[in-house]
Amino acid sequence: MVAPPARTCGAFLARWVPSLANPAGAAPALSPSPLKSRILPNLKYSSFPPSMSTNDKSNILRKYKIVFLGDQGVGKTSLITRFMYDTFDEQYAATIGIDFLSKTMYLEDNKTIRLQLWDTAGQERFRSLIPSYIRDSNVAIICYDITNKKSFDNLDKWISEVKLERGEDVIIVIVGNKSDLNNKRQVSAEELETLGKSIENCSIYLETSTKANHNIKLLFKKIAKSLPEFNSDSGAQNKPETIDITIETTTGGENSYSCC
Amino acid sequence: MHQRSESNYSNNYSLLDMYKEDSEDEQNTLNTSKLDSINQQTTKEILNGDFDRYGFKKVSVHSSITNETYNDWFKEYAEFLKERKTKWVMLLKSNGLQVDSEKTIPSRFPPKSDKVKKLIRKGIPGEWRGSAWFFYAGGYEKLNKHVGVYDKIVRDTKNLQNKDTDVIERDLNRTFPDNIYFNGSLRSNQDGTPGKQKPQSQEEEKNSSPMIRSLRRVLVAFAHYQPQIGYCQSLNFLAGLLLLFMSEERSFWLLVILTERIIPKVHSKNLEGVHTDQGVLMLCIKEYIPSLWSILGKTFEGEVLSEDKILTKLPPVTLVTSSWFMSVFVGVLPIESVLRIWDILWYEGSKTIFRFALTLCKTCLESEEFQNAKPRKKNTELEQVELFQFMQSFPKTLINPNVLVDNCFKKIGGYGYGSISQDEINKCREFVAKQRQKLKNKSNSVINPEMNAQERRLLTGDDDIHDVYGFNRSIMSGVAWNNNISNKMKKRFSRKASKSSLV
Repeated sequence: MVAPPARTCGAFLARWVPSLANPAGAAPALSPSPLKSRILPNLKYSSFPPSMSTNDKSNILRKYKIVFLGDQGVGKTSLITRFMYDTFDEQYAATIGIDFLSKTMYLEDNKTIRLQLWDTAGQERFRSLIPSYIRDSNVAIICYDITNKKSFDNLDKWISEVKLERGEDVIIVIVGNKSDLNNKRQVSAEELETLGKSIENCSIYLETSTKANHNIKLLFKKIAKSLPEFNSDSGAQNKPETIDITIETTTGGENSYSCC
Repeated sequence: MHQRSESNYSNNYSLLDMYKEDSEDEQNTLNTSKLDSINQQTTKEILNGDFDRYGFKKVSVHSSITNETYNDWFKEYAEFLKERKTKWVMLLKSNGLQVDSEKTIPSRFPPKSDKVKKLIRKGIPGEWRGSAWFFYAGGYEKLNKHVGVYDKIVRDTKNLQNKDTDVIERDLNRTFPDNIYFNGSLRSNQDGTPGKQKPQSQEEEKNSSPMIRSLRRVLVAFAHYQPQIGYCQSLNFLAGLLLLFMSEERSFWLLVILTERIIPKVHSKNLEGVHTDQGVLMLCIKEYIPSLWSILGKTFEGEVLSEDKILTKLPPVTLVTSSWFMSVFVGVLPIESVLRIWDILWYEGSKTIFRFALTLCKTCLESEEFQNAKPRKKNTELEQVELFQFMQSFPKTLINPNVLVDNCFKKIGGYGYGSISQDEINKCREFVAKQRQKLKNKSNSVINPEMNAQERRLLTGDDDIHDVYGFNRSIMSGVAWNNNISNKMKKRFSRKASKSSLV
């Protein structure tokens, strides 16, 4: 898959809080006030009544909801941070409740999509909130830690929570994180493959390392490709106001997808 | 520059080292300040260094506060702190309590009074914080009733391994990775030597920093002492922050007081207290910030939540506000603001959390960004979530605690939430808890065609509506609300007047 020269990985640009996306301070000057740009760019393109949105329909931003699930400490926040800002820390503060983040991805033909990432607390008791946060998700990324067998064994619980709430209307993604710690591995790659193949609407399963920055871009590339915009028969019919916006359809052929 | 600040921290560090395994040396740490008081020297060190006076990184990678903004604020705030310290010394002296030297921490404070309350709201000197929190929260009463209990639990749980300890173990290093006492690798980074890797194996982890070992003991002891709670994520932040200001034993007892009296059941297995308090907060938002309620008081489908529905179906914004309660604003606001709220919390109780939660909501609402971003007609999940992101990121930028506290309490120029009394919060909590219990019972029973109207009404919730109005009435009858009501009436009448004049 060859990316057009104009669009490289750099096109993974976080619009949300520019100063965060670029700690060095060279934040893209989207708006005079950094705070304002947190909110405004999205609204220009969001699915407001026609008068609110831009005339050019191809610029209307499609939004997708992606929830991150999995046991405590498997690296959900780390995965998101790597994707959002391309940085890594040895430790992240535990997530309490839910953290909401967004990232705009630029794809081929000036096509942009906005991913709303729901980072969740892993501890079991927080699951009493879960149904409400799995609702209407387009993608559920369920994570485990390859050095922690228990987190792999618990995938079943997470998967059934998702299926219960979303049925088949969701793309299930299984991620085995911390693949850099191969010497401490408790779950083999084969086990992941067996599990991945056994789940009906799980087309994506892979091992990642947020520390070594391994497979993270590939992961999101695969996800972007399998989203309804590229694959029109996927669900989400129940949210017409956000998903059914007509966009100049280019069937997402293998090579038209642009990201390195 | 680095040299100086390093010496500053190694000094603190050696004091921390005094937390021995069996915490018998505790008395030694009580009368000595872990924190240096603010003077020219310490201010300079903070301005030139990377860490604040509590050992937190001044600027974290994903925060929008820069070193410059921090220093601009802190230069001014340091002056304010010195002035406050003088006032506190005067207060103590006028109450016959001696403050001998810079380093002495008073163990007793003046009894509660309006004057003390005012002083507390303007902030307790950092180096006295632990002692004052403990004193005003009733720590001594608790401790005197349970002499030696903490040490015994620590001994009993020393080699304990269960579900809770597993989860605790995973959270220890994820408590304050940006604090030098909790994350040793930050210290070596400061020397200019490469940071140590995080300890990977269990054995290595046992040898982690003294603060991590203290945190482990407190959390394990707590889980053992309060089995109905066990360990809940966010307790690590609460215990961690306490440990920066007081000994293990005292941290333990304040954690007990917090979870027993101030935010009961918030950390329990089913998080029932979180749901209850979110219900209370939502009713408060509806009452006090109706314009915000009109935006957020909806389901993700855009369905407006009528009064009787609020508690069955908490609005999605509670996904944001729940963590405000669970971690009592740790990680939600900049640390100095958190500490100022905690000063008030231990003295005034749980109403403080509601008052500040409302203050945050209103501050968000009034910001230009929120006004511009407000979803118009359609109010779908994806749009609401953009607002939630704002409500999560915006509070982190509120660096000046004085503005926050003034907004909360000032009647003129602020929101005047000081008028929300503990009595009202208690009543409302009781009401919400009762309603939720009813709903639970109801969901367990099914309406069947043979029931009479009375029985059906009980199940379909007509009574719930009545109960909601009861809550509102109890607010209306309060003297404190006169102001609020008269303002409302004034507005209503002026609107009517202007309408009629148009006609």
